[in-house]
Amino acid sequence: MELKSYDKYRMSFAPPTTSVKLVLLGEAAVGKSSLVLRFVSNDFQENKEPTIGAAFLTQKCTIGERTIKYEIWDTAGQERFASLAPMYYRNAQAALVVYDITKPASFIKARHWVKELHEQASKDITIALVGNKHDLVEDDNDGDDSSLRKVSIEEGQKLADEEGLLFFETSAKTAYNVNEVFVGIGSKIPEAPLLKPQQPQATDGRIDLSTGTAPAADGCAC
Amino acid sequence: MGKKKQEMSQVYGSNEFIFGERGGRGKHLSSFLKNLSLTGSSTRSGEAEDDVNRNIYGELSYGPAQSMQRRSSSSVRLSGRSVSGPVGSSYAHMGVPEKNLSLYSNQSIANSNPSLKKSTKLKYKDLDDDWDADLEKVDEAPVAKTTKSFSNSNPRYDNQMPVMVDSLYPDLIPVSQPALPDKDSMDYEDLKMKMEVSRLNQLNSKYMKFHKVLTSDANIDLTELRKLSWNGIPQELRALSWQLLLGYLPTNHSRQQSTLKRKRQEYAEGINTVSNIDLDEDAANANAEASRSELSLPSTTSSNRDKQIYHQIKIDVKRTNPTIKLYGYPATQRSLRKVLFLWAIRHPASGYVQGINDLVTPFYQIFLQNYLWQLQKKRTGEGEELFIPNLLDDNDECEKAILDDPQLARLSADTFDPGRLSSRATLIIEADTYWCLSRLLDNITDNYIHEQPGIIRQVGDLRNLISKIDVELLQHFDSEGIEFLQFSFRWMNCLLMREISIPLIIRMWDTYLSETPLGFNSFHVYVCAAFLIKFSNELKHKEFQEIILFLQNPPTSGWTERDVELMLSEAFIWHSLYKNASAHLR
Ligand SMILES: Nc1nc2c(ncn2[C@@H]2O[C@H](COP(=O)(O)OP(=O)(O)OP(=O)(O)O)[C@@H](O)[C@H]2O)c(=O)[nH]1
Ligand SMILES: [Mg+2]
Repeated sequence: MELKSYDKYRMSFAPPTTSVKLVLLGEAAVGKSSLVLRFVSNDFQENKEPTIGAAFLTQKCTIGERTIKYEIWDTAGQERFASLAPMYYRNAQAALVVYDITKPASFIKARHWVKELHEQASKDITIALVGNKHDLVEDDNDGDDSSLRKVSIEEGQKLADEEGLLFFETSAKTAYNVNEVFVGIGSKIPEAPLLKPQQPQATDGRIDLSTGTAPAADGCAC
Repeated sequence: MGKKKQEMSQVYGSNEFIFGERGGRGKHLSSFLKNLSLTGSSTRSGEAEDDVNRNIYGELSYGPAQSMQRRSSSSVRLSGRSVSGPVGSSYAHMGVPEKNLSLYSNQSIANSNPSLKKSTKLKYKDLDDDWDADLEKVDEAPVAKTTKSFSNSNPRYDNQMPVMVDSLYPDLIPVSQPALPDKDSMDYEDLKMKMEVSRLNQLNSKYMKFHKVLTSDANIDLTELRKLSWNGIPQELRALSWQLLLGYLPTNHSRQQSTLKRKRQEYAEGINTVSNIDLDEDAANANAEASRSELSLPSTTSSNRDKQIYHQIKIDVKRTNPTIKLYGYPATQRSLRKVLFLWAIRHPASGYVQGINDLVTPFYQIFLQNYLWQLQKKRTGEGEELFIPNLLDDNDECEKAILDDPQLARLSADTFDPGRLSSRATLIIEADTYWCLSRLLDNITDNYIHEQPGIIRQVGDLRNLISKIDVELLQHFDSEGIEFLQFSFRWMNCLLMREISIPLIIRMWDTYLSETPLGFNSFHVYVCAAFLIKFSNELKHKEFQEIILFLQNPPTSGWTERDVELMLSEAFIWHSLYKNASAHLR
């Protein structure tokens, strides 16, 4: 009983941030956990253990006037675990579909994930397509046959355009473009999407409150 | 005293059922059960209790009314390990540690059970009384007396297996020695010292008991080995014991050599048949090749599937135990790749699933450690009767070099580079690892096939179990929207190896391997329940996010074997109570 009333309290004097549930999908070892680690802790680990099931992390991010709190589910990429994914994307407002630009198979897998999200996930989910491990091709000449790059930037952009996705190439290793992904997602998320339908009359007041009291200090570097 | 004493014996009685060596306190057990059912589902508790009682009494092979009179008789034979209080027996020396464990355990159980907690706290001091009183009773048993005088006249043999005593009582003997002080003089320092002495004695005594079982003439007595191993296997005897418990090494000494020879050969042949994939290659080129062809070819040809599997294994082996030095050596990674790949190819229904890379490591590490141990023993010229057959070879040049290493006595698998081994020794360690891993996975094949039904079932069982043991926690999780899959999927998929350090996991496997059927399947769910309930009080005060964050990084870094053993003994209780009551669980 106590919990219920506490919950109500939380609802009506909501925290001065917008919470966004975000899920990461993509083939094993493309760097999902590494992207999240970079975003959340600005760190990189060469040999990160494979994710089993899913890992949960949170991070705040200030975009202009707004503070967004990401509640991130980083899922396991191996095919065998795919049946768990719906549990995590079911209520997600945003998704990162990640592939490894040096692994063409991971791009095919990314296509499948996009399709599945369009079919199964919430209709207004914001999706970003992310080609990771950009550092591996930084010095390469794109036309060069010996290049490690196996998925061109055009292929990625084309898929994103067709499916209405945001598109980024990133490197979790060098931090290249990582924050931009989350800022990009945040900018596309409508304001306070969860609260509006329930308590429309409270909107103004709460936003004043939030900008007044929210220390954006622990947000990301964006 | 009257009434108080009576309550006391109830509390103590429940302890003794759980942790004592003598077992069979049916009367007290039922009061223990009553306490338990207070936290369970109220509508069904009576019914469930009856059922649970029936199960337990059924196992004990006698009814509650008989228990008192039977207890003091030395000729009682109870059915198997389950009643002999597995954890208790390892702490029963000198009595002191056992008592300590009982109290501690009762408290930790009480954490999840307010009604028990109260009584435990109040009666803490009085428990000593009852405990001492009980020792006196045991002391009266004729056989114990005989051994007592035996021990007194031969102090050196105090900790050896007392051969003429009923096997249910071995650990009680030191308890009845005069060394046990008056309870008034038993101050804290004294107690601490005695515990340390007892711990060392216990290690020695344990070793002797294993030695006796493992070197017995004809067949090794597996039942006896299980009973001993449940409480933890001495490090040096672990490889041998594990291979026996898994049924890889025959219990009949005369068949051991030929069986091992055949199995190692089979492994070598298996590796040869799959080595059209270059298992040794380390270059990214061949990989890029493989990926390139994935795009243009349909990925249905089997060799392409094999390549994908191998690719995945390669990535994961690099990411396995990255903080332990052993796992960074190329030779280690090469061996793990071979074992995992052969297993995956031979088990197409599951193939390679992430998490299996974790499960292979205890075997590899233990068998490597055993190789080093055998070399150490060989140099000092002892212990050969406990060697795994056909492992050492006098003609092995690499082996000679290690034998001549002045650091030999200090080599440990944690930091040893297996690149120093001959290809012969490497192959043997890989083969033993492969077969033992296979046997383990045979128990949980459903965990790794399509949609992982085994894990889904285990997670459901865990939830049901919590609804019985700690309904408040379950209600809290429900109100916070926590799904069990979200935190316990990994517990099942990796057998808690991501939550608990490898040395402690190895200790847990001693117990898992002593369960029949092996504990990796259903017993593991009870261990997970004990694991979760350990944190129950903290979790009940947390919200969704804090709960998830807590459970995916639980505070186990300071854990010792003691913590794990408490968890195992709690799991043992729940297992005894509920294993046959699954109809009620559902
Ligand atoms: N060079 C380079 N390596 C990366 C990058 N991101 C990740 N990696 C490496 O790729 C491997 C896999 O990274 P993870 O973050 O574990 O991949 P994941 O997608 O989470 O994998 P699963 O959890 O198995 O699904 C690790 O060895 C990382 O160090 C990157 O941007 N550049
Ligand atoms: Mg990951």
